[in-house]
Amino acid sequence: MSDPVAPPAPGRSRRVSDRWLAVGFISPAMLLLLSMSVFPLLWALYLSFTDYSATRGGPARWIGFGNYTAVLTSSQVHQRALTTLIYVVGAVALQTVLGFTIAYLISRRTHGRGLLTTLFLVPMMLSPVVVGLFWRFMLDAQFGVVNSMLGSLGLGQVEWLTQRRTALLSLVVVDTWQWTPFIMLIALAGLTAVPKYLYEAASIDRASEWFRFRTITLPLVWPLLLIAVLFRAIEAFRLFDLVYILTSGGPGVSTETLSFHVYKVAFLGFNTGTASAYGILMVLVVIILTQLYLRYLNKLKED
Amino acid sequence: MRYAQRIGRLPVFGRKVRLAAAMLVAATVAACGGGEDDGAEASAPKAPATIPTLTQDPLTLSFIWFEWPPAQALEAFANAEYKKQRPNVTIKVNTVPNANWHDAMFTQFAARKTDFDIAILDSQHIGEAVTNGNILDITDFVKQNIDVKAYNPYLLAAYGQFPQAETGQRDENASLYGLPLLGDTWTMIYRKDLIGDKPPQTWDEMISVAEKCQADNPGVSGLAFHQANGSDAAAVTYNTVNGVYGGNLWNSKDRKIDGVLNDQAGQEAMDVLVNKMKPLTAKGSGNWFIDEVNAAVAQGKACIAFQWIAASGGLLDPKQSTLGTSREQILDKLGFATLPSQKTNLVPLGGMGMHISAYAAEANQAEALNFLKWFEQADIQKKWAAAGGVPSRTDALQSPEFLNAQPFNKVYADSVPRMRDMWNVPEYARLVDIENTNVNAALNGAKSPKDALDDIAKEQQKVLDSSGRKGGGGL
Repeated sequence: MSDPVAPPAPGRSRRVSDRWLAVGFISPAMLLLLSMSVFPLLWALYLSFTDYSATRGGPARWIGFGNYTAVLTSSQVHQRALTTLIYVVGAVALQTVLGFTIAYLISRRTHGRGLLTTLFLVPMMLSPVVVGLFWRFMLDAQFGVVNSMLGSLGLGQVEWLTQRRTALLSLVVVDTWQWTPFIMLIALAGLTAVPKYLYEAASIDRASEWFRFRTITLPLVWPLLLIAVLFRAIEAFRLFDLVYILTSGGPGVSTETLSFHVYKVAFLGFNTGTASAYGILMVLVVIILTQLYLRYLNKLKED
Repeated sequence: MRYAQRIGRLPVFGRKVRLAAAMLVAATVAACGGGEDDGAEASAPKAPATIPTLTQDPLTLSFIWFEWPPAQALEAFANAEYKKQRPNVTIKVNTVPNANWHDAMFTQFAARKTDFDIAILDSQHIGEAVTNGNILDITDFVKQNIDVKAYNPYLLAAYGQFPQAETGQRDENASLYGLPLLGDTWTMIYRKDLIGDKPPQTWDEMISVAEKCQADNPGVSGLAFHQANGSDAAAVTYNTVNGVYGGNLWNSKDRKIDGVLNDQAGQEAMDVLVNKMKPLTAKGSGNWFIDEVNAAVAQGKACIAFQWIAASGGLLDPKQSTLGTSREQILDKLGFATLPSQKTNLVPLGGMGMHISAYAAEANQAEALNFLKWFEQADIQKKWAAAGGVPSRTDALQSPEFLNAQPFNKVYADSVPRMRDMWNVPEYARLVDIENTNVNAALNGAKSPKDALDDIAKEQQKVLDSSGRKGGGGL
């Protein structure tokens, strides 16, 4: 008969085996991260200091900060930066207001909350290219359903995608349609996490609805909402797909965002060095703004 | 104690991080160093003069084109006909959306690896592909295998020659990098039931006829043409009007655009386009390209339209049209004519050639050469015409198979001596983008016509002059 409780087999030290185990678990993710993110980023960083072109080939000549200076001083870049800023502020502000309002209204319902939430999330699950394509058809001035509806109400045709102001507005509206549910979802999570006893205490004190919202709901949801705004702002800052499908940056270049412009620099003339510098600068802008934002969030938490 | 331990471990960790970072930087620099060798050879490799031995194993010959009816026609035609000669070969025409066409080909060229054997390049793409060594030089192959005298010299030059030929000519000493696949130009489509059987002969007459037609037929716009800022849509429209009004796109000898494009003729052309033609188009048509113009014609919403011939076939399909329940009924209402002339009779050169990828496998390159030789034969060109293609051989162009295949084919045959192309230079993609965005801006009120034209000329000149610039290329 064998001993039912066998002593552990002698082997290598436990410390070493744990370590190898850890390395074994971590290395696939690390390799993926290094090869797909860190290495391309470092290569792009290197190329940003050269005049390299992916199609022309030839040696990558070192030109120092030439590309960075050119990008930072280019009036074309300044124009796209302004367009991007207007778009980000407009879209994110609208999404925040709408998303929070919808979440607040849903949170007050006791029945059908799950179904409503699921329905509201549908736009977010669609591919931006699909969203762009069907909105392009819907907003078509001649054949689109939006102008058709306006016509049946006795209103005139609107050139949604071919006039400067309406084209940018259309981008904001479509992005808002797709991404308001994201803000709503985060806000809803915040709203459901507010302890009920606070509202009960406020009710006993006969606090008004507005007072409860202002002093309980908003302060408790605010930090979570700001994180949602941060994510959306970063996403909106690098908007490409909707512009590509809906307006191609037009009329003229009036809806060209920074990402769309980088794409043109990178692939129309294959100016890889300039495009790399442009991309690195965009990453830097996001990192700096995010850091400032996170500091504000931390301060808010401490307060 | 714990604090001291942590402090004690930091340098070890820091060393590891530094080591990892150094390895990454070294790997990056090494990889970049490897990239430097890629460009040592920056000219197109030569194809053999004679076709190498072909494989008898199953082989797929892949093309890349954009999504439109001729792409499907080519795949069906080639599989039906070429298989008779080469049963082991399957033809696959891969397509991408028109707006991605250039990028889809040139990003693969940039990777020095292509999933296609034959790139169907626009005539203006040749310069970029040749300069980067992406396609084969087939000059010797053409000398040995192709009857060049069977072609209008300019057509042969437009789809294969680099450096670019003078309009209407071919430089017999220049190298060839491709052979014609599909000829094309614009046709004027007019509503016979609204403006009469006789098409307008001059550009001014065309505008006044369109104006009257629009006024007489509420809900129908006078004109429909390409205005979008993607692909080469708005640029071709302006270039066409520019040519008709006696303008020039550039002076190719001294690479001068500023002062040439925006001279008096160029400004008159922009004025005609924006102030006389644009008001006759449908509201919101500022982003129209091929599909939208076809939709407007098919739904009876335009008196006169301009369209590429190769994209006009669908207009005669009763399933896609409200103009009639049969092809004959539609043809009672639609007429196809060559473009009106004004100061000149120039028309835009469209169409594409076949160009063999320098990165395709040797067996596929050999098969591609064999396909080219097969495709350019007189009887195959006539069959291609009957299948819906637009051939380039003169005998095929004048054959009944071609002229009777479609009502607009005669328009193409008559237009061949009138054709003018854009710039075929490595900087083409940027030049056309500058023109597209500015013409589109002018057509949609985002810029005045004069500012748009001056901006095009200045920005394009900057692109041509920026070869020696250090940094910021592409801005």
